[in-house]
Amino acid sequence: MMIPSAIAVGVFAIVPLLGMFALSMTDFHLVKKWDHEFGFQNFIKLWNNKRFINSINVMLLLSVFGVIFQVALGTLIAVGLEKIIPKWRFMRGIFVIPFVVPAVAVALIWLSLLTPTLSPVNDFFDIFGITVPALLTSQYGAIAAIVMADTWASYPFVMLLILAALQGIPSDLDEAASIDGASKLQTFYKITLPLLAPALLMVSLFRFIETLKHFPLIHIMTTGGPGRSTQATNYYAYIQTFQNSNVSYGAAIAVFLFLFAAIISYYVARANARINDA
Amino acid sequence: MIKRHITAMLGAAILGMSASVVSTAHAADELNVLLFAMPYTRALAELEADFEAKSGMDVNIEVIGQDVFENRIALSFTGKSGDLDVVHAPVIQLQRWVAADWLRPVTAEIDAMETKDDILAGPLDSFVVNGENWGLPFLAGTGMMAYRTDIFEAAGISEPPATWAEMLDVAEKIHTNETAAIAMRVAPGQGFNMFVYPQIMRAYGGTFFKDYPTDLTPSMSTPEGLEALGVYSTLMNDFGPQGIGSFNFAEVTAAMQNGQVAIILDESGLIAQTLDPEKSKFADKISIAAVPSGPAGRSPAIAVHGLGIPADAPNPAASFAFMEWATSEEVLTKIAVSAGFADFTRASVAENAEVTKAFESIHPDFLSLRVQMLNDAIGHYRPLIPEWPQIGQAVGENINAAVNGLMSNEEALEAADEEIAEILSE
Amino acid sequence: MRRQGKSPLRLLGIAMMLVFFGFTLLPIMWALILSFRPASHLFEPIWQSPTVLTLNNFDSLLRSDFPMALFNSLITAGCSTVLAMIIGVPGGFSLAKGRSQRRFIASWALLLLRMAPPVGFVIPLFLIYLNVGLLDTRIGLIAAYMVLTLPFVVWSSWTSLAQIPDELIEASMLDGATLFQTLVKVVVPAARPGLIATGVLAFLIAWNDFFFALVITRGNTVTAPVAVMNFVSYASVDWGSIALASVLLTLPTLPVIIFANKYIVQSMGGAVKG
Repeated sequence: MMIPSAIAVGVFAIVPLLGMFALSMTDFHLVKKWDHEFGFQNFIKLWNNKRFINSINVMLLLSVFGVIFQVALGTLIAVGLEKIIPKWRFMRGIFVIPFVVPAVAVALIWLSLLTPTLSPVNDFFDIFGITVPALLTSQYGAIAAIVMADTWASYPFVMLLILAALQGIPSDLDEAASIDGASKLQTFYKITLPLLAPALLMVSLFRFIETLKHFPLIHIMTTGGPGRSTQATNYYAYIQTFQNSNVSYGAAIAVFLFLFAAIISYYVARANARINDA
Repeated sequence: MIKRHITAMLGAAILGMSASVVSTAHAADELNVLLFAMPYTRALAELEADFEAKSGMDVNIEVIGQDVFENRIALSFTGKSGDLDVVHAPVIQLQRWVAADWLRPVTAEIDAMETKDDILAGPLDSFVVNGENWGLPFLAGTGMMAYRTDIFEAAGISEPPATWAEMLDVAEKIHTNETAAIAMRVAPGQGFNMFVYPQIMRAYGGTFFKDYPTDLTPSMSTPEGLEALGVYSTLMNDFGPQGIGSFNFAEVTAAMQNGQVAIILDESGLIAQTLDPEKSKFADKISIAAVPSGPAGRSPAIAVHGLGIPADAPNPAASFAFMEWATSEEVLTKIAVSAGFADFTRASVAENAEVTKAFESIHPDFLSLRVQMLNDAIGHYRPLIPEWPQIGQAVGENINAAVNGLMSNEEALEAADEEIAEILSE
Repeated sequence: MRRQGKSPLRLLGIAMMLVFFGFTLLPIMWALILSFRPASHLFEPIWQSPTVLTLNNFDSLLRSDFPMALFNSLITAGCSTVLAMIIGVPGGFSLAKGRSQRRFIASWALLLLRMAPPVGFVIPLFLIYLNVGLLDTRIGLIAAYMVLTLPFVVWSSWTSLAQIPDELIEASMLDGATLFQTLVKVVVPAARPGLIATGVLAFLIAWNDFFFALVITRGNTVTAPVAVMNFVSYASVDWGSIALASVLLTLPTLPVIIFANKYIVQSMGGAVKG
């Protein structure tokens, strides 16, 4: 029964991937005549490329902060839904809505919220004479803006996973602790949180790899600006491939990203195996 | 060694795929036109049936977003799939497209046109590359200033600023928290901040290259270049509206239409929209003026768009017939009147009574100012070289970084020079 | 059951949840408001003219190619999900219950395929499509979405099917059913919540795509996320239509997620059981 899946995965996924590896070793360019050079020259060029190094920094900033906020918010809401307002079941349906808003729409909606002339948030604070700073025009502001939009769109995924993990924790543990006189906060820190740890690790790694692939948020909200402060590696690969028509160089950047994702997915697979075997 | 062979073979296979031409050519009486969204292209799509009736062809005009167009077009050309008959051709991309053999020359067809002399010479000439003509222009946009007469009056200013130095003085006098003094595009991109910024740079004597087109040594980092960038940064940061650092044409135009700013400098077609009472709340209080000059004179921005024929188009005669129709006096006049399209490319349209009436109601001097600005503009306002799109992007990012305070003006210009040299050496 | 008192801690917790609730809803409400705002009032505070609303944005949306694009999106994302389920679930089953020694490698490879950056392999895909004539066809787009959905379906159904007790399968086999019959008649019904969740998530992955559609579609098969970008035009950014399109882009999946979220939680329970 494995065979149809294996063939289909091979045809649909592996062939284009091999194509990506092959392209990265050529000097294929859509506009320039090509010299039939093969080898690692694209990777050597990358090594000395300041914009590429900058893009890795940006990518790590976006991913690390994105994951921290998503996981924190998703976990807090999941715990809140289970422990603080367990009777309001419908709230779960509302908190999950951002999950189904397509990334293009997320980016456009947040762009409108962060455009000072358009945003109701700016209008509101103007009443009190407070000027809300324009996030998209400062280096870290723009990064914060993308992290915020990504947090909004992705915390429901964390929330669903943590909800699942919470429901797997036997409730007698909580009760036993409260009989022992532990406060609710203590129970949470001492019992619930450690039990959630494997799920938290896994969801963090999962989200981390997903954030490496940011495209619509950057493209629509900042186009990589101001300057180059939000040109993450995936976006830089897009610029090389589509704007500069340098397809082989773009493929080389994608190969780098792929290898990076390979390392992290190795740990996800391991964490997953450990959970499943336990 | 074996590895090298394998990669070589894989590479060759990929290349082979891209080169082999699979003809998906469509029916002979079908014409596929790909344009990106602007008032003119939208209006043209609505006139589709006129050409169908005239020619008996089945025309599909597809109008897509500029962003989607730019991402797709290079791949479409590379594919040589023969499914496009006419494409939107911005002059700024032309050098690159011609260098890659993506277009078919139309010199002979244009020379045979009866109404060739009616087409504005500057825009038409900008389609000449390597001695051949590659397209027919439908749009010639230029730089213009729009300003609020009521705000100028209240501040006791009688004349719009004629130089960038005066602009700094005026901006200081009229800037308030409610109504910022000035807005221009700052978002990075060869068609965004690099459309407006060279107006200041060239006014101060700054250039992209030492001696275009003979000596392409980058020369942005000069005292003149630095002074110009200083003026731009000061105007935007000290006298621009909040969030100006990411403004593009849409935000600039909207800010003027909604009274959030007192002066804007942008493209003539968009300036016309700030004068249109249906779109602009302050239309009756807005007047227009020439682009300010500097020690080295005046250099209004220029953008020319036209229609071209992909190299592999199966039926070039039909393609050209469409182009001729789409840029004809009749069609341009219709669109000028119905869509308030100001950037038309035929002299006869400017003389048409209906058109002059329509634009006089917007502003009596609009058409004459536009002609004056087009005459002052130089064709290579943005350098006409195949590498420009990539250079414009890189320079635009550095200029944007400087305006947003991410690096100093000196650093930005040095980085720009360095990156231009790098792109040209590749 | 102990009664929950109105302790300061609980009040603080409720306050926190309200803040999060606001954070979740603000962008959604804003998109709804923008959808009904006329262009002439976009740039003034909403409370200055709260009743100035319009249906014009629906007009301009209906006249554009957006309805067709929405239809294309539904067809392509839907078909690729169904196909990926048909091909992928048996694969997940054999990984979950087979005797393969290479499970770890399989799990890693599947994850990796799902994580690969599209910007890299969309160009090879374009070149292949060009040669086999799949550009601008729905079939081509469905096949492209399989790149995204299939590894996910195999991986996710593997996790859900692993929870089915072996005894159930053995009993069915003892009754003389073939492996395939067992899968269809016994295993799939027993793993329904997990498989529903898998299908919903796979659909969302394809529905969300921007990049594949950008590169391998043209006018005939453009999908909704790409069509939205057509409202960002040279003359102006049509915020009303963009907001309305964003809302419409979310609507088809909204009821699904509101009702299916409990299945997702159930199925994830298998993936993260403590």
